[in-house]
Amino acid sequence: MSTTPTESLNTGLNIQTMAEADDVLGRRKYIGMSVLRTEDPVFLTGRGKYTDDVHLPGMLHAAFLRSPYPHAKILSIDKTRALALDGVHAVYTEADFEPILGHFVTTVHREEVLTVDRPIMDSTVARYVGQPIAVVLADSRYLAEDGVDLIDIQWEPLEPVMDAEKALEPDSTLVREDLGTNNFAHIEFQRGDTEGLFEGAAHVFSKRFHHGRFMAAPLEPRGVIADWDVASDELVVWSSTQIPHLIRTFTAGPLGIAESKMRVIADHVGGGFGMKAHVFDEEALIPASSKLSGKPIKWIEDRYENLAASLHSKEMIIYLEAAVDKDGKFLAFKGHYIGVGGAWPAHPWTSLIDTLPAASLLPSIYDIQAVSTQIDAPLTNRCPSGAYRGVGWTPGHVARETFIDDIAREMEIDPAEIRLMNSIPDEPFVSVTGMKYDGGSYSASLRKTLEMIDYEGLRKKQAELLKEGRYLGIGISPYVEPTAWGSEVAKANGFAAEFFDAANVTVEPDGSITVTTGCHNHGQAHYTTLAQVAADTLGVSFESIRVIENDSSQAVYGTGTYASRTAVVAGGAIMRAGKEVREKIIRLAAHAMEVSPEDVDLADGIASVKGVPDKSMTMAELGFMSYYGGSSRVPGVEPALTSTRSYDPPETYSNGTIIAIVEVDVETGFVDLQHIACCEDCGTMLNPMVVDGQMVGAISHGIGGAMYEDLAYADNGQFLSASLMDYLYPSTTEVPHMEISHIETPSVVTEGGIKGMGESGNIAAGAACINAIADALSSFGKIEINKTPIGPSDVMDLIRGLRGAK
Amino acid sequence: MKPAAFKYVRAATVPEAASLLAEYGDEAKVLAGGQSLIPMMSMRLARPEVLVDIARIPGLNEIEANGVLTIGATTTQSAVIRSDVVSAFAPIIGVALGHVGHVGNRSRGTFGGTVAHADPASEMPAVLLALDAEIIATGPSGQRTIAVEDFFVTTFETALADDEVLTSIRLLAPTGNACWSFNEVARRHGDYALVGVAATAELDGAGKVTKARIALSGVSDTPVRVKEAEESLIGKTLSDGAKVAGEIVSSSIDPPGDFHATKQYRIEVAGAIVTRALNEMADQKGTR
Repeated sequence: MSTTPTESLNTGLNIQTMAEADDVLGRRKYIGMSVLRTEDPVFLTGRGKYTDDVHLPGMLHAAFLRSPYPHAKILSIDKTRALALDGVHAVYTEADFEPILGHFVTTVHREEVLTVDRPIMDSTVARYVGQPIAVVLADSRYLAEDGVDLIDIQWEPLEPVMDAEKALEPDSTLVREDLGTNNFAHIEFQRGDTEGLFEGAAHVFSKRFHHGRFMAAPLEPRGVIADWDVASDELVVWSSTQIPHLIRTFTAGPLGIAESKMRVIADHVGGGFGMKAHVFDEEALIPASSKLSGKPIKWIEDRYENLAASLHSKEMIIYLEAAVDKDGKFLAFKGHYIGVGGAWPAHPWTSLIDTLPAASLLPSIYDIQAVSTQIDAPLTNRCPSGAYRGVGWTPGHVARETFIDDIAREMEIDPAEIRLMNSIPDEPFVSVTGMKYDGGSYSASLRKTLEMIDYEGLRKKQAELLKEGRYLGIGISPYVEPTAWGSEVAKANGFAAEFFDAANVTVEPDGSITVTTGCHNHGQAHYTTLAQVAADTLGVSFESIRVIENDSSQAVYGTGTYASRTAVVAGGAIMRAGKEVREKIIRLAAHAMEVSPEDVDLADGIASVKGVPDKSMTMAELGFMSYYGGSSRVPGVEPALTSTRSYDPPETYSNGTIIAIVEVDVETGFVDLQHIACCEDCGTMLNPMVVDGQMVGAISHGIGGAMYEDLAYADNGQFLSASLMDYLYPSTTEVPHMEISHIETPSVVTEGGIKGMGESGNIAAGAACINAIADALSSFGKIEINKTPIGPSDVMDLIRGLRGAK
Repeated sequence: MKPAAFKYVRAATVPEAASLLAEYGDEAKVLAGGQSLIPMMSMRLARPEVLVDIARIPGLNEIEANGVLTIGATTTQSAVIRSDVVSAFAPIIGVALGHVGHVGNRSRGTFGGTVAHADPASEMPAVLLALDAEIIATGPSGQRTIAVEDFFVTTFETALADDEVLTSIRLLAPTGNACWSFNEVARRHGDYALVGVAATAELDGAGKVTKARIALSGVSDTPVRVKEAEESLIGKTLSDGAKVAGEIVSSSIDPPGDFHATKQYRIEVAGAIVTRALNEMADQKGTR
């Protein structure tokens, strides 16, 4: 994403300038209100337009032949029978694409990271179950799949590399011969006197944790339509993506087309959750197929493809050590994060999007003096791994917070108490890894959540139920969520990057206002929340604002929506641009009404002279005047009421606490997740209803990762979770009632005091569930949970182990 | 995830369906609610050349109680759950059907389908085994009655001949002081059970068991009765016999392991839920 060298990574000194638009909150009317989502009528009336709803004349349908083998050499491909089928138009393999399609070159700009350069379709070696080997174009998806069945391939199965730790050994079979190693990155980090603190500590604890592999599993799988007009050499791509501009930037090169001639539309997207913040092979292969065939091509991913071959996330083997003093005060942490990667690093973030953030956030809310981390990044014969809501903060958090519960039990300290006694203050704080927390409620949110569940009362109830042979468990999980992925928070998480996002605010001739941003709206209600920001910044009515995103040819350039960034990044850019436009409007109104600008107020879309209520102008009058007002406009001043501003925010962190309450049936291992309580703090809330929705959704994801969802592979590399019968996500029947409260600690560094949010539920809820299960079983003996997900069979294994140990 | 090409024929009568099945042999499959077959075809795990649709055959979706309870094969699972006749006659059926998928599945899925599909982890095969039901099959040469004990052959395979249609399921009237229980553990509501139990018993005036049937799902390639556990209950009250019966179940089954649950898990939990089912049973009267 940039060429910034490693030296510019987080130094702890790169604090940015403070906010410019510091007067917006003082006159807010919409920010902080639960304004109903203007997006909803479209969806509630069935008028959503997802990728599969787009139909183009003459369009062909694509189906991929995907490898059934985890690792195999392809000796020959015979297309004859497929091409003979009536309705099949073409079968393309690597050799067909080679003349017109470049490679994906994937890396993270750090000296420790190897670069992987690969053809976008590899038809010579299969490296995971589901890898695309060939694509068939036909009159319908049915016929395309019939064509796939008729391709004759000779495979030579090879030994699959499945054990990530063995993959790191020097004599391991290689997933990629060209790389010479399976480990594409070894990264070490050290701050403070870790070794000295461990040597002098009263207690040293350690834990190995294997976090499971799970995924976004959006309701709408991926889908790409490409229409390459060979006459004008213009390309339009519809893709179910969170990053339309980045798709253009990353595929235009390999496709050999100017970005100015390429348009990416991602209108309605049925769930992204970070998975769709990647650049997928199909997003280049379908446009290339359109170019080769001269036809528009549609590919809609099916559920098997989505589960086996889109993007997996979060699988990590983590070794933690803690040095603790005699009273339970944490002194230093060590962490070794082995990211269980796939056949190649996902483009463009690589699987380091899990391990680097996991290691960087090791201290979380805890005031420790030193930290050492190591990262390894083995490739294995699995689906590539990358970002999903909460990225590697999730596995890192589950490992750390379950470890802290282990330590608390061992030292006989209450799990809430050990956290409070080790928490950083609620003021701005620089963590030992260099993260610059911008003030929050790190312990206040924990105290508030304990109050919400009547913690002391619940502990008494737990003891009483135990006498009846009932096993109640309480799991506590306080979190910090790094948000607003821009240059600074990227660096704080180990990614060298310098980039920005922008917004344009323009007054139209009728006084209505168009706002565009380079972020992407796929469920977050930007058309509502960002309109709230724009309306308050300008001093106009909410209804007069229209926000446009999701189309690279309609919106200003930007890197899309992911990593809890848009409220801060696009909100801040709108505040900056809107402030300039507000000043232009006031200057125009002042000139027209023959007063000085300081005497003009703009509120509710009416510019009025202070103290003279009947002397005013409407936005309709001012908008028309700005375009067609001739000499009544301000002489010598650019007339357009418009501004485009960028914003690359400082680091900002939301925080909160999630507590889960479970009852475990110790005869069947069934876990009844009875209640979730949460107190979150994302600074200035734009729309509390939307904040609540983000918490509920993300907590549900976290429950899935902890208790249900598992992208399982057999030891021989076969993929076991190939349908929703085996990949189990929690549904309305499994997700319990949630109680969500808020503390609002505005950021001291961002525009409007806004912090990002949206991922913390998936970062913290899983640890709350696992800790609750362990707490429920703690009366059986020295319980330690060291993997996710935990299903009933795992619970019975734990109980059997504890009974056997007695 | 689109099915391979197939021919679709809608049968107007049972004899027509039987003759179509006779014509196409094992290349044909019967389609009713399609809740299992169509997904398997979409994943190309099943590739029948012909689908014989029996869903609109008149009279095949009726429920009758006339000393004997007869449930027509194409009665939807939802209709069975809603049926007062069924819940009066054999309440275990409606309770167990509530665990079959979700409302949408049960609105289309048929009672006969969930039996003829013969998934050993599904609910109805075990329930019918516990109820000692009869399966009525119709072929070109007429109707025959198959005892439930003989019906389930292995996973997805039954005693139905290629040219036979399952047309109804029949239950005899309860006798004496009967009671029942259904219990299962699934990862999520509506999933196939990791292990499940359907149990019925008849009690004498003193509350002692005179007859018992214990059927398990999810522990073999068919639903399984554990006769030794049933016999252990005879002459005891349910609560006196529950624990030992559960232990016998655990020691006599040989279930599979998969990544949702180990073999050991199924052994332990089958016994635990049998004990639990027997303890709950005394309160649940209304069938044999």
